[in-house]
Amino acid sequence: MKDFFKVSPLKILEGPAHKGLGKGNLGVLMAGAGLGKTSCLIDIALDRLFRGGKLVHVSLKDPPEKITSYYNVIFSDLVTVLGAENEHEVRDLIERNRIILAYLNESFDLARLRENLNNLANEIDFVPESLIVDGIDFAQAKPELFEGFKRIAEDLQAEAWFSALTHQPLAEADEGGTSVAWNGVDAFFSVIIRLYSTESGVFLKLVKHHDSEQISEAVLRLDPDNFLVIG
Amino acid sequence: MADDIQNVRNIGISAHIDAGKTTLTERILYYTKRIFAVHEVKGKDGVGAKMDSMDLEKERGITISSAATYCEWKGYKVNIIDTPGHVDFTIEVERALRVLDGSIMVLCAVGGVQSQSITVDRQMNRYKVPRVALINKCDRAGANPYRVVDQLRHRLNHNAVLMQIPIGLEKDFSGVIDLVSMKAIYFEGLFGEEVKPGEIPPPFLDEAVAKREEMLEAAAMFSDELMEAIFSDTVKEALIHEAVRKGTLSRQLTPVFMGSAYKNIGVQPVLDGVMYYLPAPNEVEIAAVDMDRKEKEVTLSSRPDDPLVCLAFKLEVTPYGQLTYLRIYQGAIKKGDDLVNTRTRKKIKVGRLVRMHADEMEDISKARAGDIVGLFGVDCFSGDTFTDGRLNVSMSSMFVPEPVIFLTLSPEDNQSSVKMGKALNRFTREDPTFRSHVDRESGETIISGMGELHLEIYVERMKREFGAAVSTGMPQVAYRETIARRAEFNYTHKKQTGGAGQYGRVAGYLEPSDEGTYEFINQVKGGAIPTEFIPAIDKGFQSCLKKGLLIGFPVTRVKVTVNDGNSHPVDSSERAFVQAAVGAFKQAYFKAGPVIMEPVMKVSVESPSEFQGNVMASLNKRRGLIMSSAEDGVFTTVEAEVPLAEMFGYATPLRSLTQGKAEFTMEFSRYAKVPESIEEELKLKYKDRAKRGTA
Repeated sequence: MKDFFKVSPLKILEGPAHKGLGKGNLGVLMAGAGLGKTSCLIDIALDRLFRGGKLVHVSLKDPPEKITSYYNVIFSDLVTVLGAENEHEVRDLIERNRIILAYLNESFDLARLRENLNNLANEIDFVPESLIVDGIDFAQAKPELFEGFKRIAEDLQAEAWFSALTHQPLAEADEGGTSVAWNGVDAFFSVIIRLYSTESGVFLKLVKHHDSEQISEAVLRLDPDNFLVIG
Repeated sequence: MADDIQNVRNIGISAHIDAGKTTLTERILYYTKRIFAVHEVKGKDGVGAKMDSMDLEKERGITISSAATYCEWKGYKVNIIDTPGHVDFTIEVERALRVLDGSIMVLCAVGGVQSQSITVDRQMNRYKVPRVALINKCDRAGANPYRVVDQLRHRLNHNAVLMQIPIGLEKDFSGVIDLVSMKAIYFEGLFGEEVKPGEIPPPFLDEAVAKREEMLEAAAMFSDELMEAIFSDTVKEALIHEAVRKGTLSRQLTPVFMGSAYKNIGVQPVLDGVMYYLPAPNEVEIAAVDMDRKEKEVTLSSRPDDPLVCLAFKLEVTPYGQLTYLRIYQGAIKKGDDLVNTRTRKKIKVGRLVRMHADEMEDISKARAGDIVGLFGVDCFSGDTFTDGRLNVSMSSMFVPEPVIFLTLSPEDNQSSVKMGKALNRFTREDPTFRSHVDRESGETIISGMGELHLEIYVERMKREFGAAVSTGMPQVAYRETIARRAEFNYTHKKQTGGAGQYGRVAGYLEPSDEGTYEFINQVKGGAIPTEFIPAIDKGFQSCLKKGLLIGFPVTRVKVTVNDGNSHPVDSSERAFVQAAVGAFKQAYFKAGPVIMEPVMKVSVESPSEFQGNVMASLNKRRGLIMSSAEDGVFTTVEAEVPLAEMFGYATPLRSLTQGKAEFTMEFSRYAKVPESIEEELKLKYKDRAKRGTA
């Protein structure tokens, strides 16, 4: 799956002045409703898994069966597009290195997540290098929530990637490509990526990158079917 | 009465163990006047519920063997199959689903959607069974039907729509509010047989109005007419039923009812729901395969005057001989008719035809498409298709999982040996996941199945129903051997020991196969091996697959290609080429990187959340791969893949780790390579057994 890195959405973070999200940091992928946030987020998760790291997928909405089936469908699409001689081994790698923690019917709270992560570390020696967090309602979320996530990411020395639904004021605010004011929580995020569509296709744009004031103007064009980079 | 196929419902009742399926069935039979007294599962009166007709089921309070029963409700003929809730009896559930047109999915208002409910739901999806849901046990402490509705939506992905709301909960649960008629319904009389409608109690009115709006909104997605009626405020009950029915039949909507079968509340409205929302036999597309047209799929009509097609889906031993349960898909059947078994092409005559009522029966003279009936005196296997001879079709084969566990069985005396033979013959005909064979070398009888409990139940039945005194060995895992890479062979079998000699040479290669268990490819060119000896070579290789060379277990997923060889005009024979193939297999097998595969189970453990760590540790200790953990309220469900070999007796440590508050289910997931350390251990044990002559 080496070819994957050439088309991974995280390619947006490549470049001479750029580095990845980095340990202990939070990153967010934001997009409007129905654009494919979860699929793109799973591409990011696969990027992390293919680099050999352990990953915990935290779902605040969907049950594990649904998340697993998202991964399966997206992975199958990848195999169709990129081909994989060792498909079984790669599937095995994904399953061995990914654990899904789902919080159904508003069962989520930070203390519970922390306890679950402690159980993974202490009972089965599973310490993730990446967290994928899907289903947080950014419109309602308080800064304390992200402060808590930031602490968890720092404690684990893990990268944490979130998905967020773009709200109208935010969409307008980030037209210029600068950092956005966002319920006062954008400060917790080291990287903000925006997924958007126009008449000419689906694109990925870097909105915030650590403390860098000069962000690459590059925009990546994505295949709307699988959210892999096509240009 | 009820002669129209539109008024027939073939339904199942399936759910998690202890969700109350059998109690519900018992109440349905009581309200439809098929029985005149109510007995409980594990009841104190020692009679037991009607559908639990085997002694063992009554004793354990679980439903093992699905019995069919018939009843009538408001002019509708309803055939009910009660299905087992334990995953080890999944074949029973699968078989029931095969012949059903719809199902009542019973969920516990306290336990909610549990792991077994997920398994059963998956099975129902596989057979495209529309269902209505009943949230049972609303009278129990901790009952929270709204949480269960959320679980239906989020864990099982159902578009669950409340058709009722409860009047009170737990000890205050006294009736339901029907959101279609907007009436309260109470159940009076000794066993709730008198259904009394009434006005909605004021404290529940606002909630009822809000939930009705939700229901109408969901139903209107399936009916423009209803949508318009909502806008013009002219909604009629019939319009709602029609829209909900449309949504249910397309499996895009699941109507949800509330009740407590035990407290006799809410059962009759569920029967109304079956009538209103579940399909008639002619509303379900049934496919068969035409044996005369290369198994081309054909759709059956469900018309009684078309050629007969029916399926034997269950066999039972009764004092009157073998009872075969038949589902008639097309055509009609009457006493004295001739039937043809598609598999054997044998003709049989319809003798005694009965309608089943748990362990009692009613003689009938005819039956037609859509009916489920019993037939006596038919020699057949479960899964056989019968026609009237005008068609040569077979119902598409059922999904039958491979057994994953086995144990040895020894009769204690000669008499028991005969009885055991009879029992095994019976059970293997009844249940395709239960198998038995005699090991050629040890002479031991070996039975195999889907889990410890599965085999345990058959051993018990053997003792109780057949009077066979048998002892059993420890349950063992059904390992498999396979190869990891391609390996060449070129083997000559040559023997000259006086008399006719033996000569045969075969060359080619073994390689792993993704398709099935065994493939044989003949690429011999130019007559290097005469054509008549090719089947013997195939036979020789197949004989080697029965017992692998690593640990003596079957070899699977092997492709054999023979591309060269040699023969002798006098000394070559079928026997010589069988031996040549055996030699070739032995020559290539170890070069092909043979590995041992073990069954891996998908294990789901549900416990209060504080035990999540303990549960994970216990699974990890058993070589389990933790896949996920889902928190829902105060419960956590941990899912893992664990080798079956590590799961024997898991219930005991799990109990002690969770103060008895956890439960687990498991089902076969896949075969996976065993770790090297275990492989070495298994090889050593095999060598040891071989030395002692017991391998």
